[in-house]
Amino acid sequence: MNREEIVAAINSIFIEQFEISEDKLMPDKEIFNDLGLDSLDIVDLMVGLQRRFGVSLRENEEIRKIVTLGDVYEFFVRLEAKRGEPKT
Amino acid sequence: MSTRQKRRVVITGMGLTSALGLDVGVFFDRLEAGDSAVRLMPDWSRKLKINPVAAPVVLSEGIEKSIPRNFRRSMGRMSIYSALAAEKALQASGLPREFIASGRCACVIGSTMGSSESIMEASRIVILNDSENMPALQFFKCASHSAAFNTANFLGLTGCVLAPAAACASGLQAIGIGRDLILSGVQDAAICGGAEEVTPEVTASFELMFAAARGFSGPPQYSSRPFAADRAGLVCGEGAGLVVLEEYEHAARRGANIHCEIIGYATCGCGSHVSQSDHRSIVRCMDLTFRDAAISPGQADYISAHATATVHGDSEEAMAIREFFGHETPVSSLKGHLGHTLGASGAIELIASLEMMRRGRILPTLNLERVADDCAGLDHVRSVREHKINVFVKNCFAFGGINATLICRKV
Repeated sequence: MNREEIVAAINSIFIEQFEISEDKLMPDKEIFNDLGLDSLDIVDLMVGLQRRFGVSLRENEEIRKIVTLGDVYEFFVRLEAKRGEPKT
Repeated sequence: MSTRQKRRVVITGMGLTSALGLDVGVFFDRLEAGDSAVRLMPDWSRKLKINPVAAPVVLSEGIEKSIPRNFRRSMGRMSIYSALAAEKALQASGLPREFIASGRCACVIGSTMGSSESIMEASRIVILNDSENMPALQFFKCASHSAAFNTANFLGLTGCVLAPAAACASGLQAIGIGRDLILSGVQDAAICGGAEEVTPEVTASFELMFAAARGFSGPPQYSSRPFAADRAGLVCGEGAGLVVLEEYEHAARRGANIHCEIIGYATCGCGSHVSQSDHRSIVRCMDLTFRDAAISPGQADYISAHATATVHGDSEEAMAIREFFGHETPVSSLKGHLGHTLGASGAIELIASLEMMRRGRILPTLNLERVADDCAGLDHVRSVREHKINVFVKNCFAFGGINATLICRKV
């Protein structure tokens, strides 16, 4: 997945699951304060991301540090890059 | 004079989400036209061994989105039905939103259990050992009090929130509890009723006990045949019915439209069997209700029967009605039109009865071509009948051996 595909996949979760219009999905938007999600939504966001990207996030420390939508994009861009690295 | 003696409880609003419409007028017109909501459910074939029939609610696309996402996200189908019905009931009653938020208004909504569809989804996730992907809101859809708390939160209601779970008597018990909360002075109003959703798994649970309609070879709308000689079991339905109860003086002061007064209510256990209705305990329940109302059985103008079209249940109810009322009080069941909406049935059928009272017409039992011998000796209403109703009786009898009866009188 390239960056554009990752952003589109994440945005589709916000649009379909949380019914947020696409024009509000800017990288600097804070997930709680600007996009209006709460602690229950965050659990469902994780479930959506786990299903979409096929990863387990519950015990991931990095995901807990996410504040903005851009942080989510970057988290999965890094994850996909790691997945693409040749195994030694 | 005690508080209970001084206070009276009236119904000032009603709303429903039914398989025959979301508007009380449309719903009644379709009942009167003899429509049945029972249809084939082809997608259910792989899960059921019998003809897959049910009476489902069909919502127009996007209607549930009238409920904001932050409330809707914790709702299964039954809670959505309930919230839509509650909104209409509240609107019809004219009770102001500030009053709903005053702590003086209760929300009492019963159902057999939480959202059946959501419980099945949760079970599948657990069976697949995939609990990590269990949505956070799943619990709130599955919980037994799901319809009650979801509806209360949607309305911004801050009074008592209760959820009787008494299977097919849940909705009527909810109305009875609401009445008691107002009679006792704990609350001044209550939004009460029942909600239920139908799935193949719900129908299968009746099928296992040979209580679901099986083997009827005609068109699906003829499958549910209360009191009939060829009745073959119940057909599951779904929906929600909600009524607004209000203390009489409170309603009169604000000039509310009063549909009726609830003058009697009782509920009791049969004390013997979890599934077999027992006419003696039904008679006892009706007797308790008439004692509560302080009127005699002969004063009832109509009986809205529970009669679900099971072989045993209809027979026992007919026997009880014969014994308690004799053969002159008109009786009908709406399960032929609506199927058995389980925990919602008491409230949905109460709303239909209130419309019968208002319009002066009794709706018949659909599909009752030949009355069964064991259900004979009653005044079965078999076509729309012009009839003045001042007092009617609503019966509900549930798995678990639970009976409930409620009496309404025109004000």
